[in-house]
Amino acid sequence: MSLKTSSDNSSFLKGLFREYYFKDSNSLGTPSMIEKREFGYMSFDSIMVRHLSFRNKKELIARLVQESPSDVYCSNGYYKFPTNSVQSKEWEGADLIFDIDLKDLNMPCSSEHSFYVCDQCGACNVSFLNACTVCLGRKISRSTIPCRKCLISLKKETQRLIEFLHGDLGIADGSIEIFFSGNAGYHIHVSDSEFKTLDSRARSDLVDYICGNGIMNESIGVRKSKNGFYIKFPKSGMVFGWRRRVASEFGINQSSISKLKRIVESNGGYSQFKDDLSAKAKSIGVRIDPHVTTDIHRIFRMPGTINGKSSLLKVKSTNLETFNPLDSACVLDDRQVYIRSKVNLKLYLHENYFRIKNSIERLPAYAAAYMICKGLADFIK
Amino acid sequence: MNSIGLAIKLGPADLAKYPFLEEASEYIRETRFAIEELDRPEMDHILRRSVDILETEISAGKVYTNLDKYEIEILSFLVTLIMIKSIDLEPVTKKHSLLEAMRTEKFLAEDLFKEKSLPKKKLLLHKIFQELFDIDIHFDLDLTIFRLSVPDYLMRASKMNEQEWKLINRSVHSGYVYIDTDEAVRLIRSELSNLIYDRIKTMKIPLVPERVKICAEELRKKFSIYYTYRKHHIVSDYPPCIKHAIEMMNTGENLPHSARVMLATYMLTIGKNTDEIVTMFQNSPDYNEKVTRYQIEHLAGNKGSRIKYSVPSCKRLHSEDLCFATVDCENILNPIQFGRKKANAQ
Ligand code: SF4
Ligand SMILES: [Zn+2]
Ligand SMILES: [Zn+2]
Repeated sequence: MSLKTSSDNSSFLKGLFREYYFKDSNSLGTPSMIEKREFGYMSFDSIMVRHLSFRNKKELIARLVQESPSDVYCSNGYYKFPTNSVQSKEWEGADLIFDIDLKDLNMPCSSEHSFYVCDQCGACNVSFLNACTVCLGRKISRSTIPCRKCLISLKKETQRLIEFLHGDLGIADGSIEIFFSGNAGYHIHVSDSEFKTLDSRARSDLVDYICGNGIMNESIGVRKSKNGFYIKFPKSGMVFGWRRRVASEFGINQSSISKLKRIVESNGGYSQFKDDLSAKAKSIGVRIDPHVTTDIHRIFRMPGTINGKSSLLKVKSTNLETFNPLDSACVLDDRQVYIRSKVNLKLYLHENYFRIKNSIERLPAYAAAYMICKGLADFIK
Repeated sequence: MNSIGLAIKLGPADLAKYPFLEEASEYIRETRFAIEELDRPEMDHILRRSVDILETEISAGKVYTNLDKYEIEILSFLVTLIMIKSIDLEPVTKKHSLLEAMRTEKFLAEDLFKEKSLPKKKLLLHKIFQELFDIDIHFDLDLTIFRLSVPDYLMRASKMNEQEWKLINRSVHSGYVYIDTDEAVRLIRSELSNLIYDRIKTMKIPLVPERVKICAEELRKKFSIYYTYRKHHIVSDYPPCIKHAIEMMNTGENLPHSARVMLATYMLTIGKNTDEIVTMFQNSPDYNEKVTRYQIEHLAGNKGSRIKYSVPSCKRLHSEDLCFATVDCENILNPIQFGRKKANAQ
């Protein structure tokens, strides 16, 4: 977003971020095998720096204080030579990661709290436009302030993912870490050693499992025959995994041959039932971003760093039920500053409600930073 | 080994079916068999059997299913490998490795299914799955169902192109995947095949016996006809990812689905026709002309959904581990740009 890069905005944010990394570096989550990871960051002038490596946490913090970047990333993979180019790093393994993002949940309330900000001049609109009304620029970014409903849905989706990881994949609770992404989502990091060496194709199969993609009629016993279909349940049973999910959705078990037959018939036969089954599986599946999980060379937002899209921290949740991201992730300073807001807005942050008008406002620095990162306000010196 | 105890051992009949096991090599060492002996006329039947095996596999494309006495099996296994080594045609090596793996699969499935003695079943599982491939696999209560860990399963099953192998179509619970006997043995096909391939590659024979040489030379003449068309595919001007895929295919490697899509869409985009592309795939171990043709026409948008597929982006290919970028790839977003860039530079 352009006005973040306007010098007043960015020097204000940069100062705040630096202060945080200088004073509170303890919250920085240091990944295991730090010396094997690749690090990267995005500066406030939108320059991406990659292929960095640090021997320990101290070195990393020194760099963060010095550069005060807008966003900080760390590879989920570990390499023999993390600073080499991608081809010659020598991949040794990667944590399994999942990204649950608000944009994938298609929330009906999203239009109530979305804004459209021109990348070129920073003008802000409440409805989507093809071009900016002020400068006619065509690059428009959507900026969203997740509401209570959104935050609850994100948590529920995360919980459903955990059920899959735990119940189906047998991953122990101790190997699963849940983070609020700092903006509008959750990141789930799995450090189970058995999964570390899986390549991208194996991870993609795992993604399909979790999302409910690619289920076949045959796997629940509906088989094609010359003139239609017949039912023969699989030898390995219907009580586990997706078979159990689908069976309970249709109200069947291993002995319901005639019931399943009727269901398929009432659907209109083998192929129509297939469509119905795929749709059902998709609705039971978890909505994760497939690319994040399948990419084994990704650099991913680092735990304990500030998200430049919101000024909130990527913070760990130890108890998802009682976790409130808008309190825990709000870590910046609370001295009072002035901004010029481009919109009217109600905002909850850090146990405080703010009623912000489309004018000059005096706010604690953390709330001001949030508005500026979202592209909805400018800093006033 | 501990849980099984050493009381039970593989017998000669087992070694006949699994001649790649260490115990079979031991047998050969114990009999003090020397390679030069193959030049003796009484060894002719072994040589003939090896020729027969290769003819069945390479010319007819079939698994050789005859099972003879163990002395004969173990020796002809070895002689076949020596012959392949001297034939020295990569596709022959690849094809034999694959078909030999499929032969093992057949025996192993029968053994695991029919064998009455539980300790014996466990021993087979242990010898082949655990010792050779480090797969921790167990019988479930019902002795025809096996369970193995999700990662062990995924590592192998995700390389198969058929949808039924997708994890979602499996019985999965608490970190385990439940599969039946045929599926369990199918799962290790490519590892078995690699094992045999590596055996051939690492085998060192100072002097190949004259009689074996003669057989090999004849087979070589015969087989090389099948593999000459490869020369038509000059790979020099293609981007590295495409080059790599073609080279893999030329050596008879089984390409993953994603690589086939990349190759086919690329070839379609640069203007190759379906026939030309179909012949490119002829070297795949699982080649089937009808299926290949359909798939290519599907990608071209002539069949099925009628959507014309475009070449996947470099980013996508990179995430699928199909990118082998070189300096010439700088600033390229799609392999299609590779040729153009080069052309401009000239
Ligand atoms: S950069 Fe693109 S063109 Fe080059 S090898 Fe990788 S995928 Fe192919
Ligand atoms: Zn504008
Ligand atoms: Zn909402």
